[in-house]
Amino acid sequence: MALGHIRHWVAAAVGALVSVVLVMALPALAHRVLVFAFVEGDKIQVEAKFVPDTPVRQGTVRVLEATAGRELLTGTTDDQGRFSFPIPAEAKGKRLNLRIVVEAAMGHRGEWLLKADTYLPPAAAESEAAPAAAAGTPAPAALPPGPPPTPGPSPEALEAALHRALERHLAPMKEMLAELSQRRTTLPDVLGGIGYIVGFFGLWAYFQSRRRNRP
Amino acid sequence: MHISEGVLSPAVLAGGAALTAAGTAIGLKKLDYEAIPRVALLSAAFFVATLIHVPVGPVGLHLVLNGLMGLLLGWPAFPAILIALFLQALLFQFGGLTVLGVNTVTMAVPAVACFYLYRGLLRRGGTVAAAAAGACGATAILLSGLLVAAALLFTGEGFLTVARLVALAHLPVMAVEGVISLFVFQFLKKVRPEMLEGIYGPGSH
Repeated sequence: MALGHIRHWVAAAVGALVSVVLVMALPALAHRVLVFAFVEGDKIQVEAKFVPDTPVRQGTVRVLEATAGRELLTGTTDDQGRFSFPIPAEAKGKRLNLRIVVEAAMGHRGEWLLKADTYLPPAAAESEAAPAAAAGTPAPAALPPGPPPTPGPSPEALEAALHRALERHLAPMKEMLAELSQRRTTLPDVLGGIGYIVGFFGLWAYFQSRRRNRP
Repeated sequence: MHISEGVLSPAVLAGGAALTAAGTAIGLKKLDYEAIPRVALLSAAFFVATLIHVPVGPVGLHLVLNGLMGLLLGWPAFPAILIALFLQALLFQFGGLTVLGVNTVTMAVPAVACFYLYRGLLRRGGTVAAAAAGACGATAILLSGLLVAAALLFTGEGFLTVARLVALAHLPVMAVEGVISLFVFQFLKKVRPEMLEGIYGPGSH
């Protein structure tokens, strides 16, 4: 009788697996929040979406200093899941790494680490470009011994223009990379998970049966 | 329904972990030999159902099936949900290991609660039992939503705001799960009544 039971169960399990595989033809998605931030001019753009492609509307954005976790500013994403803010003067001056946290409703959350090197020009270049680019922000205190000033069209302007153009072209690629680095749920993952579940309970059943058979 | 890592306070996380440990211990104690395949099957169903998202509403929705699990399993719903969530956290970084306890509680407590709540009605048979099966599926989702809101209460989000949001967002899920639970119950009663021994049997109470 127990054997008959088990045969029924195996049949039911196989049936369930087949229907699962059929259903999996639909995209299997996770409720994960993907946050991506990049610099555009002197602003930082933040984009947040639920994987794969639903924008996080009215999500709370918190910009933190990466090491100490001190909050620099907060904001809310718009209906496209975007939020932009000017680079804080403090972050620029101290070259802070920024941790950008987006909190969507109901306990969903994602974050992105924006390293200083990726949103600010390299240290040496910045000391030349900063005074030209941003009049309001204080320039770094100590100027490193740079190369002697060159005549002709100002190299700072050239560098800044190049920087902007590169940023414009690289932004979509950075976004693609961010998406690619985010692991998607695939069918083998799901089948593997089901295998683990069956295995765990099989193991449990094995130990139970040994205990039962022992007189 | 899955709360992400880094949202909740340590006290809530610890409380969730403790409750999950207790519930799982009770569940494993009540899990007799014949019920193991049933628990495994529903654990796998839960594992898959919570991964498939339908883009409705602000965040997209997925089935939870915890009402059905409670109906068919009773206390062993705890280990079944725990294992499925553990694997989702490991394989998909979905939820997370530190929130595993809280997430298990928000989904397994309603399952067990609904099992006790509706068992009397389910035993009566006929239309009453069918209606109770449907209500069981819907109530479990509602309770889960309230528990999520309660867990988030300590993060500064107002309970009522979150509770209303979660409840509203899950109205379609409640309806769908009610219907699924009703049909699965009716089907099993006709075709595989031995699967319902959790309700009728003396073994689990």
